[in-house]
Amino acid sequence: MSETPKLVLFQCQWCLFAPADQEWVDTQLPENIHLAKVPCTGRINPLYLLNAVQGGADGVMVSGCLPEQCHFKTGNIAARRQLEEFSDYLNHIGYEQDRIRFLWLDLQDRGIIQKELAAFEAQITALGPAHNLATRAAEKVGGVNA
Amino acid sequence: MPDINALKAEAKRILSEGMVDIVIGFKAGDTPLHPQPAFFKTPDEVDQLVYNALCQNNLATYLTRFPKTQKIGMVVRGCESRSVNALVFEGQHPREGLYLIGVPCDGIIDWRKIVEQTGEEVFSVIEQSDNTVLVEAKSGFFTLEKETLLHESCARCIHPNPISADVVIGELLPEGDPALACEKVAAFAGLSMEERHAWFRQEAERCIRCYACREACPMCYCEECFVDHISPRWTESGTTPAGMQGWHIVRAFHQTGRCTSCGACERACPMDIKMTYLTEKLNEDMRRKYNFEVGLDATTAPPFSTVTLDDKSRFVI
Amino acid sequence: MNLILKKDHLNHLLNAWRQEYEVYAPQSLQNFTHFLPLQDGFELAFDKAHNTRIPPKALFLPTSEALLKFTRFGGYEEVPSETAPRLIFGIRPCDAHAMTMLDTVFEQERYTDPLWKARREATVVVGLGCHEPCQTGFCTTVGSGPFNHAGLDAILTDLGEIFLVETLTEKGEHLFTQLETASEDQSMHASEVQQAAAASMPIAFETEGLKQKLDQNFASPYWEEVSRSCLGCGVCTFLCPTCFCFDIVDEAQRGERVRNWDTCMFRTYSLEASGHNPRPSRVERTRQRLSHKYSYWLDQINQIGCTGCGRCVRYCPVGLDIRAMLRKAHQLPSEVLHA
Repeated sequence: MSETPKLVLFQCQWCLFAPADQEWVDTQLPENIHLAKVPCTGRINPLYLLNAVQGGADGVMVSGCLPEQCHFKTGNIAARRQLEEFSDYLNHIGYEQDRIRFLWLDLQDRGIIQKELAAFEAQITALGPAHNLATRAAEKVGGVNA
Repeated sequence: MPDINALKAEAKRILSEGMVDIVIGFKAGDTPLHPQPAFFKTPDEVDQLVYNALCQNNLATYLTRFPKTQKIGMVVRGCESRSVNALVFEGQHPREGLYLIGVPCDGIIDWRKIVEQTGEEVFSVIEQSDNTVLVEAKSGFFTLEKETLLHESCARCIHPNPISADVVIGELLPEGDPALACEKVAAFAGLSMEERHAWFRQEAERCIRCYACREACPMCYCEECFVDHISPRWTESGTTPAGMQGWHIVRAFHQTGRCTSCGACERACPMDIKMTYLTEKLNEDMRRKYNFEVGLDATTAPPFSTVTLDDKSRFVI
Repeated sequence: MNLILKKDHLNHLLNAWRQEYEVYAPQSLQNFTHFLPLQDGFELAFDKAHNTRIPPKALFLPTSEALLKFTRFGGYEEVPSETAPRLIFGIRPCDAHAMTMLDTVFEQERYTDPLWKARREATVVVGLGCHEPCQTGFCTTVGSGPFNHAGLDAILTDLGEIFLVETLTEKGEHLFTQLETASEDQSMHASEVQQAAAASMPIAFETEGLKQKLDQNFASPYWEEVSRSCLGCGVCTFLCPTCFCFDIVDEAQRGERVRNWDTCMFRTYSLEASGHNPRPSRVERTRQRLSHKYSYWLDQINQIGCTGCGRCVRYCPVGLDIRAMLRKAHQLPSEVLHA
């Protein structure tokens, strides 16, 4: 694939404990990665993911805290259940499940997010652009009545 | 098929004894293929009560329209009783305020399958004791096997008997085979990604956004649906591909762990859009991953309203 | 003028028209029929059902259409709308009649919808009368009929081996220049078929005085009664050939202003920005739907706003039947004070 994939990163504001990492995400994220910072991964409604997918994202990465380190106790494991099912479900109808990735970060971790994003981008590049589900770019107007 | 007189007698009894204020059931429709949901307030009105395989709606959808203080009697089949349980769990009505008259159900007939064979003009439909259906149509008389007319959700029904009903009228039927329910999902999942998507796309693109599926569903009782939001707008409002797909994706997903596979959404659709292949997939996942089936009682929380640390998820490190 | 079209000549004629027009005719789409443009090797689907599932109003007022495009920082541009000459073949008289009513909405003296108007002007409409009227239809009751001419450029009558073609406008005449003229016998036969069809349709309800009853019983418990099992979906109105309500929405993310079908049966239809909803429940919404068709249209154009196609009866998910509702309305008392 010649084009760089379009990625969306949903990032829990607590998961990047190292200031350097957070600063990197806030200021130096490559242009093809769109950042959506959330107060907790538990706040991520599957609709956000759908919005990203319909906005043309080739891959979606969610980074949150390790299961037992959630700032709000259980937000991340609630998110895990829903988002895992949602990605499974999207896979059922044509959006490969490898395009959605959940990343757990330990508060002790340093410099991991960069590597993970690079690895994810390589994975999505290998998959090619997402082309199945309709995106908001209008293809045509009107279903059977076009 | 339960004895209609016993059904009426019970409905009359609970009304006349003041156990309930209203009984929700069906009455004969103005067209032969469509019995109507009906609301009986007095024992005399109950004479109009009918129950047959053409009663295609899930009556539990009306439950959330009544104040929680109202005492409601309802004729329930397997799927309806499970929907009621799910609604009770979600605090939509206290169980004490309900009296459920259960009827074991051997499947709902999809009227579309009748008119496919007989043509549009149907004058009467009579269920006969040998599991056939006699249809009088403009094009002649037809004797059809009931089995072939069943709605797809009913053909693979696991729980034909009402669960936690206060009284059951009619003989209990053998429980369905859970393997049957997942057969269809497995077959669909076995297709290639492109094939699955092509199917989804072709079904979704007929949508006219009339939301009959939403209104027919007992679990869709939100005061404001996500598609009605103006800001933020979650998905496109019109019948663009993204709008229609967004609607079908999220409508089904919001039923995860709540859908009883009654198929009322599909039966309500004016464009004959298949939808249960989506909800069935989610139901099957809930069964497989969390050993959960909705509505078997009114106290077990569905998977999405509980959390555990030890999920077996591919997102686990 | 009455002409004769042999049935085995029909496909040839349709193909000839395709040189000049984009020809729409009922064809199978999944389990139902739909007006689709004819492609090579087309198969018409007249035997399957009387009416297409979606009324042909959708060809003039699409379920969704973009009105203009805009960008976040600078102005807007109109969406080019070119309407090539179109021919709709096989439209039923009820649907064609409905179109003339919608003209009164979209082509008013002061306000004309340019999109609707352009599409109407670019379209020739050839109807097919119903020699075997449908069971749920009630066109004769509401002042239309199985061979009504309103809104048509030509109408066909099925006489077995042949169609009798009556051309009704110049546009229609232009289409059938190659055909031979019908004999007097054939014309007689056709009018017998037409009369028999109309006569075979029972009067579904009394329309005389219905408007007054509906108006006078605005606050009657009748409305609660008939709307009790209503789900509040949009099936009846979206499939209705005379319903025309739409909603204009800015799709900000895509940068388009779009017009979508909307219906008075939805909660959000009458919801105001303050949160107040003047039609808070299905009771008021049902009253609006029925009264609009059977009372307010009469005030505006002196016609009942329904052509009796019967779609709402056939496809209502809970089997509500507008005919039964109106029969009941006719039983209502006359002198009720407004609450």
